[in-house]
Amino acid sequence: MSSLVAHRKAINRRPVGVRVSFQLVQPATPEEAVRLLAGASAGQMSVLGGGTDLLIDIDQARASPRQVLSLRKMPWRYLRWEGSSLVVGSTLPLRTLELDRRVQQQLPGLWEAIRDVGSPALRARATLGGNVGRCSPASDLLPMLIALDARVRILGPSGVREHPVDLVLQESRKTNLGPAELIESLIFPSAAPSTYMWQRVQPVNDISQVGVATAYLPDAPHWRIALGGLQPRARRLSEAEAVLRSARPTHLEQELAAQEAARRAEFVSDKRATESYRRRLVAVMVRRALQTTIDRMPRPAAARKPSR
Amino acid sequence: MMRSDAEPKARGALEYGTDLEAPGMLWAALVRSPVAHGRIVHMDLAGARKMPGVVAVVGPDDLRTLLPKAALEVERPVFPLQEIRYRGEPVAAVAAETLAQARRAAAAVAVEVESLRVDARIEDIFPEWPSAAAADDPHVVGHVHARHGDVDGKFRTAELVHSETYRTSGVHQVALEPHACLGEIRDGTFCIRTSTQTPFGLREDVASVLGIPEAKLLVEGSWVGGGFGGKGSAFIEPYALLLAVASGRPVKLALTYAEEFELGRTTLPAVIRLDTAVARGRIVARRVRLLLDTGASLPGRDFAVGYSIGFLLGPYRTEAYDIEGYALRTNKPPFGPHRAPFAPQSVFALESHIDGLARRLGADPIEFRKIHAWRENDRTAYDQPVGPFGLEAGLEAAARTAAVWRTGIPAGHGIGVACGFWSTGVGAGGEARLFLQPDGLVILEGEREIGNGSVVRGLSVVAQRVLGLPANAIRIQYGDTATAPFDSGVYGSRTLAALGQAVEKAARALEKTLATRVGAPQVRLETKNGQVLVVSGRRRQKLVDLLTPAERAAGGLEAHGKHYGAEKKVDASRVLEGTVYPYNDFAASVHLVEVAVDRETGHIGIVRYAAFQDVGTAVDRPAVEAQVEGGVVMGLGTALSEEMMWTPDGRLLNPGLLDYRLPRIRDAPPIHVDLIEGFAGAGPFGAKGIGEPPIIPVPAAVANAVADATGTRVFELPLTPERVARALKLL
Repeated sequence: MSSLVAHRKAINRRPVGVRVSFQLVQPATPEEAVRLLAGASAGQMSVLGGGTDLLIDIDQARASPRQVLSLRKMPWRYLRWEGSSLVVGSTLPLRTLELDRRVQQQLPGLWEAIRDVGSPALRARATLGGNVGRCSPASDLLPMLIALDARVRILGPSGVREHPVDLVLQESRKTNLGPAELIESLIFPSAAPSTYMWQRVQPVNDISQVGVATAYLPDAPHWRIALGGLQPRARRLSEAEAVLRSARPTHLEQELAAQEAARRAEFVSDKRATESYRRRLVAVMVRRALQTTIDRMPRPAAARKPSR
Repeated sequence: MMRSDAEPKARGALEYGTDLEAPGMLWAALVRSPVAHGRIVHMDLAGARKMPGVVAVVGPDDLRTLLPKAALEVERPVFPLQEIRYRGEPVAAVAAETLAQARRAAAAVAVEVESLRVDARIEDIFPEWPSAAAADDPHVVGHVHARHGDVDGKFRTAELVHSETYRTSGVHQVALEPHACLGEIRDGTFCIRTSTQTPFGLREDVASVLGIPEAKLLVEGSWVGGGFGGKGSAFIEPYALLLAVASGRPVKLALTYAEEFELGRTTLPAVIRLDTAVARGRIVARRVRLLLDTGASLPGRDFAVGYSIGFLLGPYRTEAYDIEGYALRTNKPPFGPHRAPFAPQSVFALESHIDGLARRLGADPIEFRKIHAWRENDRTAYDQPVGPFGLEAGLEAAARTAAVWRTGIPAGHGIGVACGFWSTGVGAGGEARLFLQPDGLVILEGEREIGNGSVVRGLSVVAQRVLGLPANAIRIQYGDTATAPFDSGVYGSRTLAALGQAVEKAARALEKTLATRVGAPQVRLETKNGQVLVVSGRRRQKLVDLLTPAERAAGGLEAHGKHYGAEKKVDASRVLEGTVYPYNDFAASVHLVEVAVDRETGHIGIVRYAAFQDVGTAVDRPAVEAQVEGGVVMGLGTALSEEMMWTPDGRLLNPGLLDYRLPRIRDAPPIHVDLIEGFAGAGPFGAKGIGEPPIIPVPAAVANAVADATGTRVFELPLTPERVARALKLL
């Protein structure tokens, strides 16, 4: 059996491995950056943060921007605590957060998610802003940002707006940012006992088959559970959260929440894992992450029980 | 002791294949087939020829004009003249002024193809074990069958028959440096500079593919950024030379890393069925059935089966056996060697099988192996005598370590053992030329160091030990195939073990000449103030004073050594079909590993590792230990994560290092290396080869440890968390 099929390659498409030339634009101030973006024609200008994602897309011929706007000179490489809330400038390298003791103590889940992104070299370039702006389904940070109810501060031609990260993220490679808007910072409203767990075939430089983020926030609903490794993006599982009715849910409640999460999550099968294996992982990892988060809660001295 | 190539490598001063340059050089790119099986209906090269910077475009028609004999080559066509055999097979090639121009032009070639049915996987060809009629199946390109003893009788009267089927996956060599070469025509001679493990083998191979006389082809090796078996035979070199003929200019061709994966000649999947008959607690007979995917099958595919199949009997006494294997042609790139070709896969099946059998019999897995282990003067399945062999000693050492590990082992952990054997010091042979100059010794070599140290360290250490010279007075000079002495190449754990013997002979010849000249029974050499001194008893003479005027004029004293191993034979009466291959020096490996298995997710953690390695004599101990550590880590990749994934239509899903998961340094467990010495090989000072043996038992040891931890066996490589989870019936 044979069939005649014609295979013609589009001549206009740039083959992989051929360098592209683009104009690098380096505005000195956020206002100038927004102005330049507003003046660019649609789809012609890409925003460069750490470049760990964009440059690979350019190299692999998935993107061929005419102009690349660098955020290098933006005054956004900062980290500051305002009371118990943490404000992180969008271009601060992940490595700085990773090396910060207070981040590790007060937002342990965020620290865990950051610590196992790529390699140290990559973390010295990658940023939180880039993770949100690129909205990759492979991001290990997005589930944790969602679970911690991080807020995104966005700068644009009509000023500044602030939204929960779950509203800003839309689908793979898509956010609700306007064409001339930039992420200025991320705000973590409060310190929170939290946990991030992933499963990969390899621990380093691999993409997680599943990522599980859990956090216990001061505001209701207290428990937050978010998953990564699913299409089109990381998402919160309110149905599973609803099972958890106290700060220290019973083992049964944890198990029920984990099963609810596994039931609700919409996974796909791909070369990294099958749908059924991902579901299995969620059932195990949500339960483990909840237990770890509970173990991280400060225990009132009087109520301390002997550990199991 | 710092290796002589370490400092220039750290500075980036050495020229690898990807660094090669020549004045007026063009860059090449390959036009590759969009389907895995088909016929070219039409290919329009005219458009590409007109593109900016393009100097030459060659397709099948140009091959007929430029190198008519090459166009007659059917088994290893430069371009597919009849059928496209795998996806990405080169169908044309472009040379242009810049790499970007070449790649753009290659991408612009429109190829019209008539698609044919794709057979990319063994299970699509033979869902069941093939019947006797299978030998006539067009997919069968090699068939080997050997038999000895009363197999049927022993299976009939057996107390127990243990039957299992194992599956293995394709693994890639993943040398850090991709294939790269530079071809040019100089005064009518085809000259190729290339990153190769085997300059002389390549000369023969490329000349044959291009249909040119070997005398008209000159091969010069560049420094090699890792070989692991992937840089042996003719591969990209014919394209660079063909474009050099077409353009009249030097042409450089370097593969992208995606091309490395999509074109690479690698280990391909296999299905292995094993049946073992037991009587009175001992193995009495085995049946072996092997289906080996050989892809678009190069000549030599019989070798892949005939050599591999012997490893499925193991280094164990087997009274009766019936072993049969088929090489199957599929629409994938051709099968190629990968560090100890196919042995880790064979041994995974066999050693898992033996381990399971021991447990079924209630026997200790190490003791059970010891009962059957070859000892010196045993006979192999093909009736070769076994030489000094450290298997029993390795098993005893492993048993002691296992007993220590076993005490206080946490729940969920398991300990696994596996044995392997390998034939080292193989190859047709090699020659050495040594020049003793007034200021030091020069070893002339055709092959560059490929990274493991066997050339820069191994050969020097042999000369050093014979002559007594310090390491800094020995230099290796690299030549091409016209100037350097012949050698089979850096593969098959043979550089020190076989070529080292030629170096040893040449060094001994030098020593003898000098002893005669000073009238002493023996001499040794040392250096002082940059001068070589000949020492006999208390006398020290300058070498320069002992040279004849002719030698002084020539720069020094020259010596040659040759080593062509004696031909080994197998008992041909046991071979019913095809060819099986004799072994050379036997090297044993006994590996022990402790794993922690997550019983809820199937994830395997490697806790610690111990390798008991029969090396004959460790001539260069740090280098030998490094080879063992490297072999273990590479084997852990085959065991746990490395897997080339093809779709049914022959597309590779993971042509890159994101989803082809190579172990990284963080994945390396603590490795205890125990070198077992005293079972001398034929190499210098009793050395056996060490390049390949340490990778062989790793996947089996891990699988056996998982079985120990969980009571469940995994029958397919690699042992990814999901595969383990399925075996544990978690989903």
